[in-house]
Amino acid sequence: MKKKKLYGVASALLASSIALAGCSFGAGSDSGSDEGSGDQVTVDIFQFKVEFKDQFEALTKKYEEENPNVNINVKTVGGGNDYGSSLKTSFSSGEEPDIFNIGGPSDVETYEKYLADMSDTEAAKAALEGTLTSVNKNDETLGLPFNQEGYGILYNKKIFEEAGINPDDIKTHEDLVKATEKLDSKKEDLGIQAPFALPAKETWVIGNHLANTFLADEFNHDVMEAYQADTVEFAMGDQMKRFLDLQNEYSVQPTLSLDYSQQVEELFSLGEVAMIQQGNWVYNTILQMDEEMAKNNVGLLPIPVEGYEGSIPVGVPMYWAVNKQSEDEVVKESKEFLDWMYTSEEGKKFVTEEFKFIPAYEGYEDQKIADPISKEIYEYAAAGDTLGWVFLGAPTNWTEGSLAVNMQQYLSGDITWEQVEENARKDWENSRQ
Amino acid sequence: MQNRSPAFWLFLTPVILALGIVVVIPFLYGLVYSFTDWNGLAATEFIGFEHYINLFQEKEFMNSIWFTLKFAVASVLLLNFFGLALALIVTRNIKTNNLLRTVFFMPNLIGGLILGFIWQFIFVSVFGDIGELLGVESMQGWLSTTETGFWGLVILTSWQMAGYIMIIYIAYLENIPKELIEAAKIDGASSFQRFKNITFPLVAPAFTISMFLTLSTSFKIYDQNLSLTNGGPYNSTQMVAMEIVRTAFSDNQMSYAQAKAVIFFLIVAVVALTQVYYNKKREVEM
Repeated sequence: MKKKKLYGVASALLASSIALAGCSFGAGSDSGSDEGSGDQVTVDIFQFKVEFKDQFEALTKKYEEENPNVNINVKTVGGGNDYGSSLKTSFSSGEEPDIFNIGGPSDVETYEKYLADMSDTEAAKAALEGTLTSVNKNDETLGLPFNQEGYGILYNKKIFEEAGINPDDIKTHEDLVKATEKLDSKKEDLGIQAPFALPAKETWVIGNHLANTFLADEFNHDVMEAYQADTVEFAMGDQMKRFLDLQNEYSVQPTLSLDYSQQVEELFSLGEVAMIQQGNWVYNTILQMDEEMAKNNVGLLPIPVEGYEGSIPVGVPMYWAVNKQSEDEVVKESKEFLDWMYTSEEGKKFVTEEFKFIPAYEGYEDQKIADPISKEIYEYAAAGDTLGWVFLGAPTNWTEGSLAVNMQQYLSGDITWEQVEENARKDWENSRQ
Repeated sequence: MQNRSPAFWLFLTPVILALGIVVVIPFLYGLVYSFTDWNGLAATEFIGFEHYINLFQEKEFMNSIWFTLKFAVASVLLLNFFGLALALIVTRNIKTNNLLRTVFFMPNLIGGLILGFIWQFIFVSVFGDIGELLGVESMQGWLSTTETGFWGLVILTSWQMAGYIMIIYIAYLENIPKELIEAAKIDGASSFQRFKNITFPLVAPAFTISMFLTLSTSFKIYDQNLSLTNGGPYNSTQMVAMEIVRTAFSDNQMSYAQAKAVIFFLIVAVVALTQVYYNKKREVEM
């Protein structure tokens, strides 16, 4: 009897040790194939964009077929914060990926000793002007832009037409107010709940995007300038306030519990509101809700900023980085893969057609951009009518954790706008000390 | 302890090892890190008690502690009330006894994250529509204010955990000897007197367990908080666990968050142990 028990314990231990061994980043299978053929190279990619996981994996398969000596493992962890923390975890646990993503100047600083210089790649040379500013450091290019993204006021063309509003006439804030009031007065006839849907629950919508539009000028559209600034002035604070007020007043209520999926899926896609402040990333969501609407019915208006009428904020949300602490062979293959993705004919096709990216590189003139929102943004970008994405240069978590939270408090009526600016400024200064 | 046989230690080793590796060692590591400027990748400097001094001056952290305390009081009371009430219902001789037990226990089997999203839909959309239909102002705009966020969380937790607490009470209720109740009946005790003087004292051990469980879970709640309110509006419904996670992973202040976690551990330990000590004293021996 006693013996039997011991066997039981032993086998349980054995089983659990096998289970534990399976946890380690698929290491087992990699080393196996490495031993099999001497010049096999394995590249571990750790990336954050959940939306294009399947397409990206398809692309890596294709690359593996063309380059049989390269093995690519893709690991995807989504969402801004989650990615950041898992990346940190994999670095501190020693399971460092070979290719990973970094966001802005603060990531560059955190991971500096891991970032390989990319300036010798084709892609870095082809990168559009201005897309590399936040990863350039000491004459080195430490990352390659993913893509470009842009945002503004997305509007429902059909509702605008029925209300008799010509979107081309909306240039200034006053024009926008007039159009909004018109929509509001006709909301029963148009079958909408309200002109706007403001998801004030989502701190990134108000703290990152809305605020950025009115902060870009202050930092000369330069993310590095924002990154080095000791304070924030809110030079366009009044305009920020009135644009927030406008959206809030004419939004479906209560805005403080309204979230992104309600805004885009329930309200905008189903024609319950006429306008939302969002960007090209909502295209696939709208496509799933209503194909017809996504393809023909969504237009983009710039957020009216005095002195920048007709410009929209366009920026690079994320960069590819190569881990220079990996073996030289791996670093070389990693760079080659990224080059192939952005500069080869096949790669380019994937980037525009499958990933539905707005390319951040030259040489895409002959490619067609899949969705109308991206196309419009690419046109703004090509014409140079853009505002910078400076929010990536703000102190860590300032946009969402400080400014947005204060804005929410302002919307709930607890504090005044002056206090919003003051509190946010204080937080900025504190973290830059 | 000395006279334990080697076999005793042999059998204990796997558990001690497992506990040591996943609980004790990380805990000690964390304790050390909380005195440094560790950023998740490297610690360069030993800064002593600086984090501990700062955290008591941080408004957001103090707010979250206060909010968690209020939440814990409300949910412990409601949970034990509903748990005992449900247990009393299903230990009566009703035909649907077993079905009811299953139904009451069911919410506990759904993950907190999903429950949060389900209740978010109920509070925001269902409550909103009903409120609009009946013209009840107070049913509208749930989760957009601090109060509704608070009660939303309390309702969600009570609904989820009451069934679990019920099971514990059932176990003790069914162990009460029938003779005692019968004797009391013969002595002419009313059903309230029977409950107050016999049932209640005899389920006291269940109180100890349930209070401990509810208290420690309501302190440590994170997933429900995340999916229901996500701390909003303006971080006013942010519980300590969430505040710590945010300090660590959004503000990127790993060692500072670690210091907060140590304080949080102390608070939970003190509260839970005090409560167990007092409840133990009150229990009656049969």
